[in-house]
Amino acid sequence: MSAMFKEISHILARAKSLLAGCGCEYAEIRLSSGSGTFISLSGNQIDTVSSSQTVGGSVRMLCNGAFSFIFFNDMAQIEHFFKRGIQVSRLMKTKTKTKIRSYKPVIKKFRTEKAKDVGSISLEEKFKLISSYNKILKSSHCIQTTRAVYRDLQSTSAFLNTEGSEILYDKTYCGISLSSIARDGAVIQPFHDSFSGYGGYELVENREPDAERVAKTAVDLLTAESIAGGTYHVVVDQKLAGVFIHEAFGHLSEADFIHENERLKIIMVNGKRLGPEGLNVIDDGNIPGLAGFIPCDDEGVLPEKTKIINNGLLHARLHSRETAEKMDEAVTGNARAVGVMNQPIVRMTNTYIENGSHDTQEIFEAAGNGIYAVGAIGGETNLEMFTFTSGCGYEIRGGKIGKMYKNIVLSGNVFTTLSNIIMIGNDLQMFGGLGGCGKGGQSPLPVSFGGPHILMKNILIGGAN
Amino acid sequence: MVNKLSANTGWFDIIEISGVSTPIQFRNNRLHSVTEYQNSGFGVRVSINGKTGFSYTNDASGLMEAADRAEATSKFGDIEDFELPYITNTDFEPYDPRIHGFDIAAEIDKAEDAMSAILRKFPEANIESRINGSHGKIRIINSNGVDQVYKSSRYATYLSAMLFLDDGSKIEIWEGASALAPASYNLLIEKITDKLYNARINKKTAGGKIAVLASPKATARMIGIVSAGLNAESVSKGISPFAGKIDNPLFSDKLTISDEPDLKNSPYSYPFDAEGVAARKKFLVKEGRIKNYITDLKYARKLNLIPEGNGQRGYSTLPHPSFSNIVIDKGADPHTSLLRNIKRGILVDQFIGLGQSNTLTGDFSAGLDLAYLIENGEITGRVKDCMLTDNLFTLLADEIVVSSNREQIGSVLAPYLLFPLVNYTV
Repeated sequence: MSAMFKEISHILARAKSLLAGCGCEYAEIRLSSGSGTFISLSGNQIDTVSSSQTVGGSVRMLCNGAFSFIFFNDMAQIEHFFKRGIQVSRLMKTKTKTKIRSYKPVIKKFRTEKAKDVGSISLEEKFKLISSYNKILKSSHCIQTTRAVYRDLQSTSAFLNTEGSEILYDKTYCGISLSSIARDGAVIQPFHDSFSGYGGYELVENREPDAERVAKTAVDLLTAESIAGGTYHVVVDQKLAGVFIHEAFGHLSEADFIHENERLKIIMVNGKRLGPEGLNVIDDGNIPGLAGFIPCDDEGVLPEKTKIINNGLLHARLHSRETAEKMDEAVTGNARAVGVMNQPIVRMTNTYIENGSHDTQEIFEAAGNGIYAVGAIGGETNLEMFTFTSGCGYEIRGGKIGKMYKNIVLSGNVFTTLSNIIMIGNDLQMFGGLGGCGKGGQSPLPVSFGGPHILMKNILIGGAN
Repeated sequence: MVNKLSANTGWFDIIEISGVSTPIQFRNNRLHSVTEYQNSGFGVRVSINGKTGFSYTNDASGLMEAADRAEATSKFGDIEDFELPYITNTDFEPYDPRIHGFDIAAEIDKAEDAMSAILRKFPEANIESRINGSHGKIRIINSNGVDQVYKSSRYATYLSAMLFLDDGSKIEIWEGASALAPASYNLLIEKITDKLYNARINKKTAGGKIAVLASPKATARMIGIVSAGLNAESVSKGISPFAGKIDNPLFSDKLTISDEPDLKNSPYSYPFDAEGVAARKKFLVKEGRIKNYITDLKYARKLNLIPEGNGQRGYSTLPHPSFSNIVIDKGADPHTSLLRNIKRGILVDQFIGLGQSNTLTGDFSAGLDLAYLIENGEITGRVKDCMLTDNLFTLLADEIVVSSNREQIGSVLAPYLLFPLVNYTV
């Protein structure tokens, strides 16, 4: 039994007895105890070396058709906070009642599979590793500063509900983030990459080639040109394909946007054609190791492999218990919270475009003249329009990669762009990172995303004309 | 613990942050949930042999262990030779006792009335709302004898309305406000219904250089790109374009920006920062000239600046330079008269992806989530599927016009800003 489990184990019996007599339609208790390491270096400076220990618990109840949710970190007073949840729920007189889908009781223990336990690695060793990456990140005289971050988190959590579920999870999350900022006079160019997942220290070892790539790209961007604004044929690499499908479409498939909006239900009706034959999009929380892996979601539901788009047709949605009940569809195990202090909401896990049939070479040849957009700094969508920034880009001329471009910001309409996918490659890769997804004030939620190389036509890129 | 830390360290400080908040959430035009958060935590920072160590916990019974961990991490820290403050006073508190009158049932009624007011004008709208009442305290203890506390309170409201037009276009408008105690938010309802009304018709205009009027909401976002460079940490690390530019006239003389931690009735105000340093108003940009960088103790020492209360942190992080209330000075004329003088232009309210660009250099390229076409001094409809791409620092050095009316957008008191020519891509 881990020390962290001891922190919460003495509360479990009390939690079970509270749930047994609560008298609500549904209630759940989540408890967590965790410890973590954080090291942040920049240039020749040590910004932070810290270690932490946290505990927390929450109670969520569905009473009289509305949710009350209480978060606390004074675990000893769980009875007080549970009672407070019932008091709050009595204040809510709702006209439209929330109902949720019931689920089988899950009684299971999960544990992150790992080759090297981060708990057995000394702080000295972690510091030495991230320092060695930082040294590579600042290896050129053109590098003004860097940021090298190491983070790990080990926690034990418990999930109990009125259906009789009792889920214990010993979790280890580990990752690094690597940034170089190159400067030549007034020109300042950052470049960044990040790696993370559920597993052990092995996830962050042997990343020297990645640090070298980050530093080199930042320096190369100093002399890259800005692109002229306009519409282009664009080949996106695996990472940008992943960000595209997460941002531009994945969020639209989260059913809490749709389940009580009659207009969106029509726009997002299953069977609607969204993309070409051969476009298949998956969300699957059950891929161990990846940043979006969840053995069960934060409502105690086991994750499903959900085919959101099947051969270009809208096929399914991602659900919580609430949205599944409202839309009369099956739960998918996508109710997630960034921590016990937050309510679960519908979120993605590991989301990707499945491999198509084309080799990368064929894709570039078909592009003819266009832009190769590589990597992603970020992406944002309003569910109709999106904007992404690629890490860098290249001219494609006659099917060949040419000069480098910086500041490539792609924008477009989600539905038009999906239908503008011309070719899908066969070289799927998945990506995670220490950042994550943000929604409803909950960020960062670990997710992964990916896809193969993809060719799209008529993509709007911002810039001077 | 104080005795133990006094014996083992060169100096130390402890921050304790605690509070209770009660967010009420409405989704899809109805009450969804009521949440109550009780949270507290401690951050322990120590200096041993001149090196800084840090740890935190949210478990009061684990405070001694947190101190041990902070001591253990110090051997990896940098040599930092700044001094902690000796005297800290609580001259005022960003606190209004009326926050304790926050009543869940009454707030639910108020929010339902607000949603009904929007639905009466736009029955197809899908409305979300969050109302939150919170109060807490921040306490700083350090090895120089400081043990000071202040109370804080905040009442925050957020309201958004989403609408689909017949052509499938989606409009989503959000507005928010905050105060020290429960207040009316009828103004948000008015803003949302006006903006929905103006966005009902989609319009197109040619790409190229165009006049852009940024709303206070858009201005607040754009000024964030400038303020990032006015942070002493960025200056120290050599990635601020404003390093070494104090008193240089980089922007139009119409632009004055200050950091005001003592602004009255603002939940973003505080008497001292998270290192116990007294907080004072300072000009960041005055009539176009850079006047100050905001700093914490660490970067004040590195850059030989006077710390004026911008060291911020939660209990789980070390301090870093951060802004309090950002106040942009007003201009001479109301935005309505600026708008009337625009023959063809864009009124921007909400961006998509503004922060993703290489903003260190002022470059930006962003989609327009909510923007309107201005023709002959009138708003004639909404523009969408388009982008603005330019360099903000160059735009702000040009002949900008600042409106006389301002709005509070989060921690920023922002006017409308008129940029005569901006790159517009369709």
